Amino acid sequence: MGLHAVLQILIQGLNMGLIYALAALGISLIWNATGLFNFAQGDLLTMGGFVMLSTFAHLALPYPLAFLLTFAIMGIIGYLLSQGYFYPMFSQGLHPDIIIIGTVALTVLIQNGILLFWGPSPQRFSTPLGDNPVHLGKLIVMPYYLWNIAIVVLLVALLQVFFKKSMLGIAMRAVAQRPVTALLMGVRVSRLVALTFLLATGLAAIAGILIAPIIPLIPEMGSLVSLKAFAAVLIGGLGSFAGALLAGVIVGIAEVVFATLVVSTYKDVFIFVILILFLLIRPRGIFSANISEKV
Amino acid sequence: MTKPAYWKRMGLMAAVFLVLALVPLSGVPSYQFYILERGLQNLLVVLSLVILLGYTGQLSLGQAGLVAVGAYTYGILCVNYGLSPWLGLLAAPLMAGLVGVILGFPSFKLTGPFLVVNTIAFAEIVRILILNNEKLTGGPFGLNRIPTIVSGLRLYYFMLVVAWLAAVGTLRLSRSHIGLAFKAIREDEVAAESMGVHVRNYKLLAFVISAVLAGLSGVFFANLAGYLNPDSFTFNESSTYLLMVVLGGMSNVTGGILSSLAVTSLPEVLRFMARSRMVVYSLILLLLLRYTKVLQVENLRRWMRRLRAAPPQQGPAAGPGQAGDVAASSATAGRDKVTG
Repeated sequence: MGLHAVLQILIQGLNMGLIYALAALGISLIWNATGLFNFAQGDLLTMGGFVMLSTFAHLALPYPLAFLLTFAIMGIIGYLLSQGYFYPMFSQGLHPDIIIIGTVALTVLIQNGILLFWGPSPQRFSTPLGDNPVHLGKLIVMPYYLWNIAIVVLLVALLQVFFKKSMLGIAMRAVAQRPVTALLMGVRVSRLVALTFLLATGLAAIAGILIAPIIPLIPEMGSLVSLKAFAAVLIGGLGSFAGALLAGVIVGIAEVVFATLVVSTYKDVFIFVILILFLLIRPRGIFSANISEKV
Repeated sequence: MTKPAYWKRMGLMAAVFLVLALVPLSGVPSYQFYILERGLQNLLVVLSLVILLGYTGQLSLGQAGLVAVGAYTYGILCVNYGLSPWLGLLAAPLMAGLVGVILGFPSFKLTGPFLVVNTIAFAEIVRILILNNEKLTGGPFGLNRIPTIVSGLRLYYFMLVVAWLAAVGTLRLSRSHIGLAFKAIREDEVAAESMGVHVRNYKLLAFVISAVLAGLSGVFFANLAGYLNPDSFTFNESSTYLLMVVLGGMSNVTGGILSSLAVTSLPEVLRFMARSRMVVYSLILLLLLRYTKVLQVENLRRWMRRLRAAPPQQGPAAGPGQAGDVAASSATAGRDKVTG
């Protein structure tokens, strides 16, 4: 196998990995802010993809506009979910397990909602770069791979600036680290938790937009994506953003490498076995987060 | 649980099963009757979760994987190897119990959400293995013509007796030293260990008992459907089981029985809504979860007392631990995060 074949596999894996990384980032954000594992993240991703299908493919809006609109719609849904559902459950002091089960029930709702609104058939749309393969020397690359990489790199840079420089981002990090202290410093915790949900859901929606050209959207794809994203979060180290990004990419590449070199039917099993091994041997993941223990 | 309360529960449960035993006499249409039978089959999974989650506090979203192990063990032994269904009935829960041991080991180290992810991964691995081992399991085409243990109405009564025995056993367990050890682990592992409870052994035991019950439910699933397909054992199934047990009050056996029957029949009750029924169904479940606190038996009782304009001070009967509800007891131990 030549070098260009290796590169080909790597690009493909990197793409899946970046998508898992975005979903994982959302899970990590919500975990940091509330201590909740949001099992609906993968389904919010699927829903984002389907909203984009409506705005971009059906309404024929220009790509950037449809993209932003999808981000906004899904962000608002995340905000409302937090304000109307999850935050009240937290403040009631419900057992955390019940709230986790709430996110699981949400996956059932979203999957059936998608089935009702968009039907069961697989859906696909492309990016502005089209579907004609690009020749880079000996390398043949689908243009949406390059597009996805560019978008995610841009997004991560923006997030970096947001969390380090903006008042809102700093407040979010404060809530993640010491919620009570943040409250005493005048941070409105409930609103910030809702904004975290907004951001996380928006990120999931973007991942859904990016996944559609690679894998056709189907209503029940979210469960598997969720699990891969959770694998990324836990392998990377719970609560660590860098870890979620890196491990997302690792999961994506490992999956594609295993599928091409070993056997494609067991690629998911491979990832889950790695996940379980990580949980057993190194539950803190690659990067253990530098925030307080939240168990 | 005090002794009279325990016998009250036994009586209540017996009454529920008596009503279920009388149902076939009333001439229910066959489809509705099938749903009832599925409810009984789900009841066994709910009991398995009452022990695992309600008593021991171990959250599992992999029950569908264990049900699949039970169902496929029975199916493969009876179809491919022509084993007698009665031997299959014995072998399948045993196999599920063995798999339960494997599932139980990670629980020594993992708690809460980590354990959940682990159990989901386990169930997915089981499903993918079934899907891809076509020679043994029929893969995506499924396993056909599975023989039943006994047929027709006899199967229903057989299931009813097994379910009743399992329910009585689960209730008795809660008062036995094993059940008390389970609950001690749920409340505080370190304290339990220091009181002489061997946490690892008891956790493993909880997983094995739970797996055996789930495997038994799998056998009944194979009997009822006569056909097995990996699509019947997805994440959605696992989450429905979990919802049933939470709505039943987690450690409340009678509540679990009623909620498994109710949640199983809910999609059928909503059938008149045609395509939107599953959305409505999941919305109802979400709302029920949102208001679990309100719906808890103790709170309802308190309201009833208030309505009857009883003396204003609360009686000691409403103390936590009486019903042993996880939610009630952990409300005080809840995280101080975000509640501010």
